[in-house]
Amino acid sequence: MRITNKTLMPAESVHEDVVDASGSYVIEVPEGARYEGVFLLKGETLKIAVHLTGKNAGCVLKIAYLSSTDLKNDIVCDVYHDAPETYSSQIVKGVLAENGTVDYHGVIHIPFNSQKCEGSQNHHAVLLSDEAKVTCVPELEIYADDVKCAHGSAIGALDEMQLFYLQSRGIDLKEAQKMLIHGFLSDLLPGSFEPQIADWMVKHA
Amino acid sequence: MALLEIKNLHARVGDKEILKGLSLTIEPGTVHAIMGPNGSGKSTLSNVIAGHPAYEVTAGEICFKGKNLLDMRTDERANEGVFLGFQYPVEIPGVSYAAFLKQALISKKKYFGEKPLDPVQFIKRLKVRAQALGISDDMLKRPVNVGFSGGEKKRLETLQMGFLEPDFCILDEMDSGLDIDALRVVGQGVSIMREPHRSFLLITHYQRLLDYIVPDVIHIMVDGRIVDTGDKSLALKLEEKGYADYK
Ligand SMILES: Nc1ncnc2c1ncn2[C@@H]1O[C@H](COP(=O)(O)OP(=O)(O)OP(=O)(O)O)[C@@H](O)[C@H]1O
Ligand SMILES: [Mg+2]
Repeated sequence: MRITNKTLMPAESVHEDVVDASGSYVIEVPEGARYEGVFLLKGETLKIAVHLTGKNAGCVLKIAYLSSTDLKNDIVCDVYHDAPETYSSQIVKGVLAENGTVDYHGVIHIPFNSQKCEGSQNHHAVLLSDEAKVTCVPELEIYADDVKCAHGSAIGALDEMQLFYLQSRGIDLKEAQKMLIHGFLSDLLPGSFEPQIADWMVKHA
Repeated sequence: MALLEIKNLHARVGDKEILKGLSLTIEPGTVHAIMGPNGSGKSTLSNVIAGHPAYEVTAGEICFKGKNLLDMRTDERANEGVFLGFQYPVEIPGVSYAAFLKQALISKKKYFGEKPLDPVQFIKRLKVRAQALGISDDMLKRPVNVGFSGGEKKRLETLQMGFLEPDFCILDEMDSGLDIDALRVVGQGVSIMREPHRSFLLITHYQRLLDYIVPDVIHIMVDGRIVDTGDKSLALKLEEKGYADYK
């Protein structure tokens, strides 16, 4: 398993896109710095721990997963708001076909002294099959009282009205599903991930 | 041969029967209008013709160009020439309007085994058509129907119809949410599409749309059935008296 340790410089801004993101990442974000990571998983294990160690440090984790026959995605995200006035957001989106599974465990840690932090977690899964399985465990370990935190999770099939609309324009069901999956992931993943998604969809969607 | 022939159509959602023995024949080249009170089943009829999976046909038949429409999937119906302009066009985040239209055309060409779409020609044609309907290039880059005003959505439905060149166009409340200028633009957009082989079914609550697209036949629908049929004077009569005589 790949192990990556990264420490940003104060006020540094880092963006990285990681395909086949399997591995363990420990990222330290000091004062005024910002880390944004975009990860794509296809049946892998991703462990991320982010430490926000100075004022105005922040991170955005965008994680997309694709799951299909006997593929399990394990995602563990721990964000430690070790300093006051830090911010974080975790956006996790995935598509599950066949008997694919995902396990997403996201934790926002805000200790007693870290006032005025903001943290959010959002998870959205699209199921293409009844056999797919999603486990989503959001956890808020919050001891400071003046913070803003939010989490949400939505799990469901592709939208029937959207499928109907596309089909009513002559697009067949398979193609319509592909368009909707692309649309679903497009706000998370930049164009460079396109071949990976296309490849998966040929096989599973 | 009639373009569309509906005989004794019954349809329901869950346990609720909405269409209760509806019959309707539409000849090629004609414009029909359906008017009727809220909840009488007008949109249900459009959805059933287009093949929406939530509506179950329990009796009756629909023949389109002599073929059994009810045997076809929604996308097959569309490629055979059925177009539904939605009362409430559906939002599709993440899919641009241009990409959507392009895929629709690719699908149609594939269905008929024609050679693939020329992307340069496509963009040219799209821009010309869009401009005529007052639709900017920027709008075509935006996700399908997301954040568009009511009037913009209806213009975009009209654009799709022009592009797909269907033989049978159902326009479900195409005039709702349109300001006076937009109504004229959309009305003209529809009028120029009149052809000897193409027919229209306009669903509307108001006479005003029918000033732009003059119908050959008007039907009154109440409680899942056609209860009256006449010429365009029927709309004027309705405007005056409402549906009281039909209840
Ligand atoms: N998918 C659905 N699920 C449940 N009920 C439905 C559904 N579609 C239609 N109905 C019901 O069927 C009846 C007819 O609805 P429909 O939308 O066809 O009416 P309409 O004539 O188009 O009305 P309007 O003029 O308001 O557009 C209504 O009572 C409506 O609530
Ligand atoms: Mg309606």
